[in-house]
Amino acid sequence: MTSDLARHPQLQRLLAKVLNGGTWLGTTAIALGLVIALIELQQAGLTTTGKRLVTIGITLFIFLPIFRVMLMLIFFIRDRDYQFCIITILVLVIIAMGATLGIYTTSGMHHLSFMN
Amino acid sequence: MDTGFCAWLFAISIATSTLGGALGMAGGIFIVPVLTIFGKVNIHTAVAVSLVSIIASSSSSASQFLKGGLTNIRVAIVLETATTLGAVTGVLLTGILPVQSLFLLFALVLFVSAWQMRVKPHGVIAATDIGARDWGRTLSLHSSYPDQPLGRDVFYHVGRVPLGLTLMYGAGFISALLGIGSGVLKIPAMDMALRLPIKVASATSNFMIGVTAAASGVAYLVRGDIDPLMAGPVALGSVLGALIGARLLTLISGEKLRLFFITVLILLGAQMLLSALGIDLVAAVKKHDF
Repeated sequence: MTSDLARHPQLQRLLAKVLNGGTWLGTTAIALGLVIALIELQQAGLTTTGKRLVTIGITLFIFLPIFRVMLMLIFFIRDRDYQFCIITILVLVIIAMGATLGIYTTSGMHHLSFMN
Repeated sequence: MDTGFCAWLFAISIATSTLGGALGMAGGIFIVPVLTIFGKVNIHTAVAVSLVSIIASSSSSASQFLKGGLTNIRVAIVLETATTLGAVTGVLLTGILPVQSLFLLFALVLFVSAWQMRVKPHGVIAATDIGARDWGRTLSLHSSYPDQPLGRDVFYHVGRVPLGLTLMYGAGFISALLGIGSGVLKIPAMDMALRLPIKVASATSNFMIGVTAAASGVAYLVRGDIDPLMAGPVALGSVLGALIGARLLTLISGEKLRLFFITVLILLGAQMLLSALGIDLVAAVKKHDF
């Protein structure tokens, strides 16, 4: 009876776990990185390890939603839901487009940095 | 980058995110105005910092909604084609648009948000007018959700998908440009166009924020626009603040808090408008103090 409804209980439970776990992992990396950065700044006046750890945490945060789209794609492939496979791939392609755009364009940040 | 500024960023993020969380909405809309007005941070830097923190807080709250069975992930992925495309357009335009226009657009978003907050959101349960073509059936979007107070499953239809997609494109565009979740456009899209029940709408919209922000976030990341020592404390503060805010949600009376929230939105909107015109009130007040 519920088969024609837009519900994927198994996938939704998995996504909940992944998003929750990923958030904690990213939060922990950032918290740890900031503490290390604080110590490094006080001792040496500059931070390398701490800053790198914070960057890892931030990268993890940004890739977490992309990863969950990939997980959805795997489930749609498994269910032979080809219509939604195409839609999901489209979302991934657009995100990849954004990343490519990031490589080849510059923000206004560098030449307008005196605006504020 | 001094440690004092890091600590200030952390504290301010906890405060704004707690305030947002206590009202059941994201505090992401405050980050850019606070950073630019009080922190004297460049607006492009502030937008990148804000994007990281809205991904973090939406991921953690999306998990709760998914467990409750409220999120319609099929509707989400369909709409995400539009929000991500809008986000990529936003990335393309950030470097081209004059900074003043970003401040102006932000002021407008703050004012519209204040206007939307003046009344409590109303729930639209069943759709009668689904539109000429039933996209909801073609894409199997119709669903049900477990309603706690009613103690049963509530069935709903999804209507007017093309209109929803158009509004979502705008939401993605604004999200990338201003570093916000852009509930301003998502709420009308979900409520008026798709006719989703309010609980499903807020859960699904929250679920989509992460992917939308990631589409522009990944571009800003490879471009090197994200300053880790600014984004780190803000993201951390936002996640912690959202947790505190969710606890407070049941303790504090919503009415006074809502009025306070509206006042803050209007004040920040006014200063963003002045910033667009090149007038800085905060700096002027500080100058008079000495």
